[in-house]
Amino acid sequence: MAMIEVKNITKSYGDHTVLKDFSVDFDQSGVTVILGPSGTGKSTLLRCINGLEKTNSGDILVDGLSVNDKKNLKQIRMTCGMVFQHTVIFPHLNVMENLIMSPMKILKTPKGEAIDKARYYLKKVGLESKEKSMHNELSGGEQQRIAIARALMMNPKALLLDEITSALDPEMTREVQNVLESLAADGVCMLCVTHEMSFARDVASRILFLDGGSIVCDAPKDEFFGKIRQENDRINKFLSFIGE
Amino acid sequence: MQEVHVMGQYSQLAVGDIYTFLEACGVTLLVTLVSLVLGTLLGTALGLVRCSKNKIISSLPLIIMEPLRNSPLVVQLFLVYYGLPMVFGILLDAYPAAILTLSLNTAAFFAVLVHNSITAIPVSQWEAGYALGHGKASTFVNVIFRQALRLLIPQAITLYINQLQCSSMISLISLRDICRIGQLVSVRTMQPFLVWGIVFALYYVISFPLARLASYLEKRVNFSY
Repeated sequence: MAMIEVKNITKSYGDHTVLKDFSVDFDQSGVTVILGPSGTGKSTLLRCINGLEKTNSGDILVDGLSVNDKKNLKQIRMTCGMVFQHTVIFPHLNVMENLIMSPMKILKTPKGEAIDKARYYLKKVGLESKEKSMHNELSGGEQQRIAIARALMMNPKALLLDEITSALDPEMTREVQNVLESLAADGVCMLCVTHEMSFARDVASRILFLDGGSIVCDAPKDEFFGKIRQENDRINKFLSFIGE
Repeated sequence: MQEVHVMGQYSQLAVGDIYTFLEACGVTLLVTLVSLVLGTLLGTALGLVRCSKNKIISSLPLIIMEPLRNSPLVVQLFLVYYGLPMVFGILLDAYPAAILTLSLNTAAFFAVLVHNSITAIPVSQWEAGYALGHGKASTFVNVIFRQALRLLIPQAITLYINQLQCSSMISLISLRDICRIGQLVSVRTMQPFLVWGIVFALYYVISFPLARLASYLEKRVNFSY
């Protein structure tokens, strides 16, 4: 059984249907990069998986739990940690407090243990010297790395990453990508919406290409950038347009 | 001769007046503090209900808030003190009438501050809390409330200062607050500049530290997203 099963979901905002009778499965392994033009439902898909958006029809099962049942949302959100496009560090807490607050409140992790774990993940994202910093003392890239570390603190089985480098300059994007590459090497499962083709080429194991709320292509990375790109005009046009 | 005769009817400001003014400060502070505490509690409840996603529920507090925010305090005071006994047979002494009116008035304005402070927190902060596994209540307590509080505190202190000054209205229902004693002493001594200068100074001495605290907190809690 796949870890995430998206079953025939439809999601509309008013008259605009973003995802149409959409189905896909994700296993608890590898890095899936979700590509496609803006407005095709990539971010909406991640938000639906995390239960932040209600679907109009269909169901999503995460580890067998339906997102349509409110009682499951807490467990689902702990199973699938999410990092957003715009950084959402809690501004009233310093870096360490940002990391340990949720494990202590939700997982009831003892403070000392939570701090040790936070230091481990801060080291992992290269920010071990910033544990006392407030959000306004951090660059955008550092804030995103903190957000990744904060998500990892909840022991998720998968990370949902929603265009997390789109608001960053190239240097900061590289910093964040290095962290993601390191996590991928450690075997962390990731579903990643991005326009960073270098990340898709270097790290992805599977590419999902969406257009008009449907899957145009679901293929292993090598096949996607090779045979499929050559055969599929839509994909070739998209990749050429973004300079790939 | 006539001028001397007229001046002779008035007495000078005496040491005893200092005690009278101090007692009046006590009345002003008592009525204001009790009203602010009650108003803050009621205003918090109304403000939280205003934040409900259900439009009908969120509109309910407006039934209380809008009339109170859009009518003069003195009119509200007269309605409670003089009006209630006539219509409903509820006869309130001056103290409870003053406290009830000031509490309701404070609650109406405080509810707006609570509502605005909570809705000013970006939706992304709620979502970040949810995404970490917090429920609605936990996200509110651990993420939203603490940020909203930092926005609320300086505004609340400004409201408190304003309500302290508005409490001078209670002199109109014969409570012997600072303003009322100012009227009495001014008439008795015929030294309005001196007496109202003292009244001015007393309000200033009470309000100024609060105003400084508000501006200090405003600088301390200023953060961007």
